[in-house]
Amino acid sequence: MMTTAPVEYVRAQITNHARLFFTEPAARLLQSDAIRFLTYAEAVAMRGRQIVIPVDLPVPPVPELPWQVQFNGTVLTLWNRAPHPDGDHWRAIPNETAPVWYQHVSGTLMPSWNLFGNTFDLLTFGEEQRLSQRDHHDRFAAAFSPRLERGLLEVPAVNETVALVVAAVVAMSHTGQPSFTLDCLSGPPVVVLSHDCDALLGNDFWTQSVRLYRFIQSLVRLRLPRLSNLWWLARNAVTPRRFYFDNATGMIDIERCFGYTSTFYLLNGSGGRFGARSPFSVIPQLLEHIPPSWDIGIHYNYDTFLNQDRFAAQLEQLQEVVSHQFVSGRAHYLKFDPFRSFSFLQQFGIYVDESSGWADYVGYRNGIAGCFQAYDTEKQLPLDIWEVPMVIMEAALIKQHGADAVNFVERQLQHLSCIGGALTILVHPGQFFNPEHRQMLGIYHELLKVCRRMGAITHTARSLVDQLRR
Amino acid sequence: MDIRLISSGDEAACNDFHNRLYRHHRTMSQWRWEFADNTYGQTPIPFAFAKVDDKIVGTQAFIPIRMIDRDGVYWTAKSEATLVDPDYRGQRLFEKMYELLFRYAEEHEFSYVWGFTPAIKAFTRLEFTVPGVTQQLFMPFSSRSVTAMLGKLPRDRPGGARDRIKAATLRAGITAARMASAVSIALTSRKLPSGLEIRTMQEPDAQAGNCCKRFIEQWGGTTIYRDSNYLRWRLFENPYVKSVVRAIYEGDELLGWTAYTLGDDGLGYLVDMLISCDESRYKPSSLIRILLLEAVLGTRNMGATGIRGWRVNQHPFDRLVCREARKVGFYHIKRGHSVVLYNCPAQRVRAGYGKFDDWYISRIYTEGVLS
Repeated sequence: MMTTAPVEYVRAQITNHARLFFTEPAARLLQSDAIRFLTYAEAVAMRGRQIVIPVDLPVPPVPELPWQVQFNGTVLTLWNRAPHPDGDHWRAIPNETAPVWYQHVSGTLMPSWNLFGNTFDLLTFGEEQRLSQRDHHDRFAAAFSPRLERGLLEVPAVNETVALVVAAVVAMSHTGQPSFTLDCLSGPPVVVLSHDCDALLGNDFWTQSVRLYRFIQSLVRLRLPRLSNLWWLARNAVTPRRFYFDNATGMIDIERCFGYTSTFYLLNGSGGRFGARSPFSVIPQLLEHIPPSWDIGIHYNYDTFLNQDRFAAQLEQLQEVVSHQFVSGRAHYLKFDPFRSFSFLQQFGIYVDESSGWADYVGYRNGIAGCFQAYDTEKQLPLDIWEVPMVIMEAALIKQHGADAVNFVERQLQHLSCIGGALTILVHPGQFFNPEHRQMLGIYHELLKVCRRMGAITHTARSLVDQLRR
Repeated sequence: MDIRLISSGDEAACNDFHNRLYRHHRTMSQWRWEFADNTYGQTPIPFAFAKVDDKIVGTQAFIPIRMIDRDGVYWTAKSEATLVDPDYRGQRLFEKMYELLFRYAEEHEFSYVWGFTPAIKAFTRLEFTVPGVTQQLFMPFSSRSVTAMLGKLPRDRPGGARDRIKAATLRAGITAARMASAVSIALTSRKLPSGLEIRTMQEPDAQAGNCCKRFIEQWGGTTIYRDSNYLRWRLFENPYVKSVVRAIYEGDELLGWTAYTLGDDGLGYLVDMLISCDESRYKPSSLIRILLLEAVLGTRNMGATGIRGWRVNQHPFDRLVCREARKVGFYHIKRGHSVVLYNCPAQRVRAGYGKFDDWYISRIYTEGVLS
């Protein structure tokens, strides 16, 4: 017997999402009796003009074959079909082959896919609970997700769900029939920009060692060495800020030109290959350049993972140079455990986290372009800490999409402009405009141009969440 | 044919006409910013259009701009949105729309109408003069700036072998030029004289208007009156591209600023530069150099492939900026678009305008998109 907590949780997340990306009356309708969460048997038995959502349909470990439907000028992807209720009184809308709703002649509307199960599973990291595979950083990589094979990692399923429900509930209140358009119910797409300040100087031991290693490695293998490694080694030895610290200030300026803001996640504490690459003394210098409208967060150091003392020490050092309390952060290397990290971070006053993303893939780890409340699956309680999943990291974007990278982002924003949502983009200062990584040159500028062309507005992760916590 | 000033409800059609002919995607908020929500704040707005059978076939507009000379602040208009449907050329649409706007200029006491255009013939027929040409100050940061520059400079012939040879030559030249510029930048002192501070303006400074007045007292002539309202509209709320404004202060007193931005073509743009330091102990040349360096390093850090600004005439401040820019590593390229100027007959001749060299002009005069 399912408790009411998961139901309340899913309803709250859907409503919160609607509050951010849809009009206020539409969001209010979602909280009304027009939508009811019931068992499948109860749902099938309901009559009258309302939306009934079954909450007891099982979620298969591997998504069942998805299907696509046209909605509001875009294409939505649904999976895990709900059984068609028996009897002649139920019909599939818009059709039997690719249904979105089952409607009873009395007006009752039931989703044709496992709306509740899919949403709860995505927001509570169901795949990661079921599967034990982890990479060498102990992370759940995109390659482990069963959604990958089905091509579902790039589907913001929760956004699509909410859009369908909003369109239906609003139309039902007028005509008794679901609608497949939003008709000005959603706002413009939102872009959430952030920068992990892993390396603010280009002359740190590890960066220079890697350059030297690459050069020597070629010689050892009797290959022609890339002289550029020596060039960058020498160049950053003389001008360590060039293409690192200077890029951070450049990113602020370029965002200012577009009227956008971002969050800078600061990394300090232990050094090393997986640790902070730059000395702490650079951080106060960077802070002088970050304008008041931009946000500052903590980039949890690799070795602070679930380690109270180390995390406290990192935070304490940062608090020495920042007067306000840190409330947002992201894990370095995205080293983060969705079942333990949220409550851990909460203890330190963090209530906005941006760690749920993939280092090796561009996609929606939680099937959402926006934010949601973390959920303690053991205690069956929502936590007062919010996840704003990272969707796009620049290196993964280029690796995955190459020359089509900017078009891919445009397609995502185009899709979100039809269904509502927030696209998160992470760009590291050392990658923003660095001739050592030629494929990155100009990419951030192009991405911002796409955002402007799509009419995207900007929020930081914190400002997005604060709208809901108010 | 219906030729009249725009009224409520005509805006979208006029914007669609622009987008159709130029194949642009100008949004309505961009249109409103440029023509309706500028610093003038009066209705009707000076936007004329010609219509045939519900179809817009021509537009011509003014953007009212306040200027300042030693006698005070006065209104002028920038000629904008000059566009006639090719199917309706030869029907004197341009002249007819201008008739309306000249009347508007007279009624609203505009002193001058000015603009920048490669198509001067149409304007000279309306008694505009062509007192000068915008020239370029340019510093390459990368050989990729060639593409952008080639797209901007007027071509002798579009495309073809000539362009390719020009591009190859330019690329080689620019590689050498950027190395020379890099040396100049490296040799330019970045040390700020004591007592001075450089800050990024988060909001337009309320001292801006006063600073502009002092500028005219110091340098003479006339220029756009850059008070905080104007700066807010032109630089901070520009829906095309906003500017970064780095200002120089002595204590809390604003001495001047530079505004720069990154264009869609990847080039950095030196949008504006203004210094008023008559009562200060600092040399204008050193302040200009400091601000030029801010613009150069700022646009370079944004990933610009180069930076370009304007050098227009013999106004003493323009000359000084050009001189200092060359020291910092800019190149002076004597190519650009013509300036057209119309002296509204009903207005008295302003003290600032004896000759065109009295006008201090920077890229801020483009008023909208940068190109």
